Amino acid sequence: MIADKQDIHEYLEELEDIPGTRVFTAARARQGYWLNQFCMTLMKAENRRRFKADERAYLDEWPMTEVQKQAVLDRDYNAALEQGGNIYFLAKVFFTDEVSFLQAVGTMTGMSQPDYQAMMIAGGRSPVGLRSKKDPY
Amino acid sequence: MARITAGVGASHIPALGATIDHGKTGEPYWAPAFAGFDWTRAWEEAQKPDVVILVFNDHATAFDMNFIPTFAIGCAERYAAADEGWGPRKVPDVIGDADLAWHIAQSCILDEFDMTIVNKMDVDHGLTVPLSLMFNQPEAWPCKVVPLAVNVVTYPPPTGNRCYALGEAIARAVASYPEDLNVQVWGTGGMSHQLQGPRAGLINQEWDQRFLDDLTADPQRLRHIPHIEYLRETGSEGIEMVMWLIMRGALGANVRELHRHYHVPASNTAVGHIVLEPIA
Repeated sequence: MIADKQDIHEYLEELEDIPGTRVFTAARARQGYWLNQFCMTLMKAENRRRFKADERAYLDEWPMTEVQKQAVLDRDYNAALEQGGNIYFLAKVFFTDEVSFLQAVGTMTGMSQPDYQAMMIAGGRSPVGLRSKKDPY
Repeated sequence: MARITAGVGASHIPALGATIDHGKTGEPYWAPAFAGFDWTRAWEEAQKPDVVILVFNDHATAFDMNFIPTFAIGCAERYAAADEGWGPRKVPDVIGDADLAWHIAQSCILDEFDMTIVNKMDVDHGLTVPLSLMFNQPEAWPCKVVPLAVNVVTYPPPTGNRCYALGEAIARAVASYPEDLNVQVWGTGGMSHQLQGPRAGLINQEWDQRFLDDLTADPQRLRHIPHIEYLRETGSEGIEMVMWLIMRGALGANVRELHRHYHVPASNTAVGHIVLEPIA
């Protein structure tokens, strides 16, 4: 059973309508290609060691933009997402830092670590008002 | 003949695996997240499945930006746990069922599902955490596994409808396999969670519970939920729930719910778990 096919342009436009969210579209995947591929190299212990020894030199081995490199050096994950990074690739950076998903994700919210943790324990962030940029509900 | 005897849905949150590995499941924060799996561990011991078709997503582990298969089926003899950046989990190798996997791949392709065939793949938390949740910490996993990796990272992922229909095709493939095998299908990932940006931490318990309800009550509604609804209602990573629809599609028209568990939070995520049995 084939469902009615959605128009790709409408589909992609909708994906940009989520507040505080960058959906990993083809456009972002292309923009972030080398940033994400650099992250993948940190899945080898030897590469993690070399990266930790001299982050800047290691980053310079990859054809990333200066803005992308700076986002990694700053561990500014919102900036990295803005530059086409994807969270599952960027996880290789914060795992190298021995930082958990909970800690790293919290840094993107503007909340303190204890406040973010407390919000999650209280049931998480409500979707109310955060479902759409155009028509918040 | 091989038969699908049950479907299992479960989150595959990496922190759950780390907590098992470090022996911390009894800690007050974690105990309620794990409590709902005790029933299933006892049930699995009684069920003794021969093979689990384990639907999961690779989290930038075996597949980087160079290869993005929408549906990839593991046809290897065995799979090692991947090093995701903190060293591989110390869990047993996953033993494949290459004969069954190749049979499903061939059957699905003739059934117009153009599967990607994978003969070498390290498996990440998406696959190994559900095994730990259901089987705890054995010396060797008690069954063979056919990994089925779904792209839910780079948009567009497959539609829910396509996932459901793939489940139906898998059921036809299993039914035509001559060996007498007790097969389960597991759908993993979810439930509501968002791991990125200022909106991170989003949880929608009401939506999640309705999804769990309708796996039994109204699966036809679930298969037509558009991607944008998962994004708006369940956070950017809630899209993983399309993988549960492959499991559901494989179980046939009607199912009985045997067990359910839901807990918020584990790390950033709502833990969801369900056990379903097909009704002939």
